[in-house]
Amino acid sequence: MSAPRDDGSESIRMPAPTAWPMLLAAGICLGFAGLVTNAIVTVTGAGLAVIAARGWIREVLPVQHLEEVELRPAALRARDVLPSTARVDHLEVGRDGHRMRLPIEIHPWTAGLGGGLIGALVMALVAAAIGVATHGSPWYPINLLAATVMPSLSGAGTATLEAFDPTAFGLASVIHLLASLLVGALYGLILPLVPRHHVLVGGLVAPLFWTGLLWAVLGVLNPALNGRIEWPWFVLSQVAFGLAVGWFVSRREKIATLQDVPLAARAGIEAAGLGPGRDEA
Amino acid sequence: MAVLDRSLASSSPGEAVRLPVASRLHDWVVTADHKKLGLMYIASGLVFFLVAGVMASMMRIQLAFPQNDFLGPNTFNRLMTMHGTTMVFFVGMPMFFGFANYLVPLQIGARDLAFPRLNAFGFWMFLFGGLLLYFSAIGSEGLYGAGSTPDVGWFAYAPLTSRTFSRGNATDYWILGILLSSVGSTATAINLVTTVATMRCPGMTLRRMPLFVWILWVDAILVLFVLSPLTAAQVMLLFDRFLGAHFFDTQAGGSAVLWQHFFWFFGHPEVYVLILPAFAIASEVIPVFSRKPLFGYPIMVAATICIGMISMSVWVHHMFVVGLEPGANTFFAASTMAIAVPTGIKIFNWLGTMWGGRIRFRVPMLWCTAFLVEFVLAGLTGVILATVPIDWQLSDSYFVVAHFHFVLIGGLLFNIFAAIYYWFPKATGRMLDEGLGRKHFFWFVLGFNLTFLPMHVPGLLGMPRRIYTYMPGRGWDAWNLVVTAGVAVQAVGILFFLWNVISSLRGGEPAGDDPWDAWTLEWATTSPPPEYNFEEIPTVRSRRPLWDLKHPEDPDWRWE
Ligand code: HEM
Ligand SMILES: [Cu+2]
Repeated sequence: MSAPRDDGSESIRMPAPTAWPMLLAAGICLGFAGLVTNAIVTVTGAGLAVIAARGWIREVLPVQHLEEVELRPAALRARDVLPSTARVDHLEVGRDGHRMRLPIEIHPWTAGLGGGLIGALVMALVAAAIGVATHGSPWYPINLLAATVMPSLSGAGTATLEAFDPTAFGLASVIHLLASLLVGALYGLILPLVPRHHVLVGGLVAPLFWTGLLWAVLGVLNPALNGRIEWPWFVLSQVAFGLAVGWFVSRREKIATLQDVPLAARAGIEAAGLGPGRDEA
Repeated sequence: MAVLDRSLASSSPGEAVRLPVASRLHDWVVTADHKKLGLMYIASGLVFFLVAGVMASMMRIQLAFPQNDFLGPNTFNRLMTMHGTTMVFFVGMPMFFGFANYLVPLQIGARDLAFPRLNAFGFWMFLFGGLLLYFSAIGSEGLYGAGSTPDVGWFAYAPLTSRTFSRGNATDYWILGILLSSVGSTATAINLVTTVATMRCPGMTLRRMPLFVWILWVDAILVLFVLSPLTAAQVMLLFDRFLGAHFFDTQAGGSAVLWQHFFWFFGHPEVYVLILPAFAIASEVIPVFSRKPLFGYPIMVAATICIGMISMSVWVHHMFVVGLEPGANTFFAASTMAIAVPTGIKIFNWLGTMWGGRIRFRVPMLWCTAFLVEFVLAGLTGVILATVPIDWQLSDSYFVVAHFHFVLIGGLLFNIFAAIYYWFPKATGRMLDEGLGRKHFFWFVLGFNLTFLPMHVPGLLGMPRRIYTYMPGRGWDAWNLVVTAGVAVQAVGILFFLWNVISSLRGGEPAGDDPWDAWTLEWATTSPPPEYNFEEIPTVRSRRPLWDLKHPEDPDWRWE
C-alpha cells in the first residue's frame, strides 16, 4: 500500500471504508454499559460485538478489502516545490554584535577540587583567627557550623560554644570539607565561562552573593544560629575562601574540550556523515 | 461536532459536487482515513473542551464570593470531577491522538497509519467511553434516584469510591467511561508506535525524523506503559464494587494507599503524556517562525526519552502527605527535581532556536512564545512543590491548582492553539484570520494570567482545593474575585477563537500548499491533502526535505 506507484497507473489502492470497527466499539461499550444500566444492554452489546468482530475479520482475511482511489486531476495536485529566491543568511560569529562563547578550553575539574581544598584550609584558618579574636576560642565558629545539624548545640549557651566538642569538631569538618569541595568544583567549572574580572567575580561578587542568600534564609532555617552569626566576619572568611580558590584555579593549565566536535563524535559513534560537509549524498 | 466535521469535509477543493448531508456524514462514520479520524479526534476534543470549560466557569462563579450559593456542595463536586476527568481524558488525550493521527503519516511520508481500521476502532472507543461518562448525568442511579454524574474527583481516591461512601453507580460510570476510552487509547498508541517504526518513507532514518514525530513516538510508548496500571486498578475497583473484593477496602485488610500508588503511577506519566505533544508542537512551530533549524536536535531527542523514563519514577510526589517513610520521600523529591533538567534543556534549545533568527510573530509563534514564559513559571512552582516540607504545607491547596493549570493551559493549551493556527490551513485549505487570532491570543493570555497568577496566593494563604465555598475574612476574598474575573476575560478570548474558526471555515483566505514556507513533508502536498496523501511516496535526504528543495544551493543534507 505504501509502495510508490512505479507502474504509472492513475489510481492508488487504499483501505476501503468500513463500519465494522465502529460497530465493534459500540458493541464493547454497550456490553460494559450493561453493568450500570440493564443486563439486556450487555446482551445486545455482546451480540453486536460478535457480529462486528466477524465482519471485521472477514474484511481483512484472507485479503484486506482495498478500494481504488482515483488520483486527482493534475491541476488539483500539489505544486512542485520550487527553489526559493530568498538568499540563505548564515549566522556568523561577530556579525551584528552576535557573539558566541564556547568553552573551547576549560580548567580541569581537578583544579576546582584542589582549589576547594586550599580554600577550605584558608577559610578555616581565617575563621579560627576570628574566633580567637572575638571569643578567645578557635572552637567557637566550628561549634556554630556544627550547630546546623546538632540540635543540642543550637540552643546551647556561649560557654558551651567556646569549648571543644569532639563530635561537633568531626561534624563541622565533614560539612566544611564537603561544602568547600562542592563550591570549589563549581568555581572550577564556572569561572572559565565568565568573560573577564575573574578575581573580582570569584573573590568578591560570588561570596557576597551567597552570603546574601544565606543571610536571607538563615532566619528561617536556623533562627538560633542566625542570632549568633557576626556577618562582617562571616563575609571576610567567605572572601578569603573565594580568593584562595580563584587563585588556585586560575593558575592551573587549561585543557581543550570537545565543544566544537559533533555530539555523535563525542559520544564515540563512528558513522558516515559525521565528518565535514560533502557534495553528494 | 458533526457540524464542524461536515464543513471541514466539504471544503476540500477536489469535491466538485456537494454530496447530501446524510451521505457525507456516512463518509465520516465509516472512514478509516487517518486525516478524517484525526479531525474527528480534534473536533470532539474541542467540544469536550467547551463543555468542561463551562463547568469550570460555573465553579469559579460559585467561588467568586465567600459563602456564595450559586452551586450546592453536591453539584460542585460533580462539576469538579467531570471538569478534571474531561480535561485530562477527553480533551488532552484526543488532542494528542488527533494531531498525531493527522500529522504523523504526512510527516513521515506515508499514506496512512499501519492499521487504519484499528485506528477507527480506537477513535470510536474513545468517543463512546466519553459519551458513557456523560450519560451518567441522566442514566446513573444517584443518591436521590435522579441521574448524577460522578463526584469522587478526577483521581477517585479510595475509600471514597467504595460502595459504602459512593452510593448509586455514578462512580461505576467514571470507571467504565475511562476504562473503555483507555482501550481506544491503547489501540491508537500501538498503531502510532508501529507506524513510526515501519512506515517511514525512503531516506527517513530515525536521525532525520521530524522532532514532532520523535516526541509523539516516545509519547505513544509512554501511553502503553502507563495506561495498563490504571486499567488494572480500575478493574480491581470494579471487583471491589461489584463482586465484594477488598483491594482498596481498609476495613477488610485492603489498602487505600495502594490505589494512590496505582493511580499516580499512571497519573504522573499521564501529565507528561499530555505535555509531550505540546513540546512536539513547539518544536515544529518555533523553528519555522524563527527561520532557523531547530537547535540541538539530538539533545532534544535524548531529553524527550529522559523525560519519558524519569516521568515513571516520580509519582510519589503526589503522595508526600500520605506519610510514607522519609527515604521514599527523599528519593521521589530528588527524582522529581531531576525531571526539571531535561525539561529545562528543552526550554534552552527552543530559546537557542529563536536566538539570532529572523522571527516572524504570526499567531502560532505568539502562542509558542507565551508558552515558553508560562511554562518556566509552571516548572518553577513544580520544583517548589517537589520540596517535601513545602509540599506538606501546600499540597491540596490552591497553589497546586495554580501549578497544574499553568502547565496544562500555559503549556499544553497554548501549544494546541498554536497547532490549530499552524495546521488549520493544511487541514482545510483556508487560513485562520490573523487579526481575530491576535485578539484571541491577547484576551486569552491576559485572562489566563489574571486567573492563575493570583491563584497561587490564596493557596499560600491556606485555601484548600476542592471546597465549594469558604468563610469571609480569611484574606482569600479579593483573590478569588480576581481569579473569577480572569475567567471572564479568557472566555472573551475563546469567543474570538470560535468565531475565527467558524468564519474562516466559510470564507478564510485560501492557504495554498505551503503558507508558512515550512520544511516538513505535510507541506509538500495539497491543502487539504488527498486521501492518499502523496501521488508519489517522497524520498528524503535530510531533516528538512522541503528546505533542500527550496535551497538547492545550501541543502541540509550537506551538513548531516
Ligand atoms: C518541572 C516539572 C514539574 C514538577 C517538578 C512538578 C511537580 C509537581 C508536584 C510535586 C505535584 C504535587 C503537588 C501536590 O499534590 O501536593 C504536582 C502536581 C501536579 N502536576 Fe506537576 N510538576 C511538574 C510538571 C508538570 C507538568 C508538565 C504537568 C502537566 C502537563 C503537571 C501536572 C500536574 C498536575 C495535573 C498536578 C496535580 C494533580 C492533582 O493533584 O490533581 N506538572 N506537580
Ligand atoms: Cu506529578
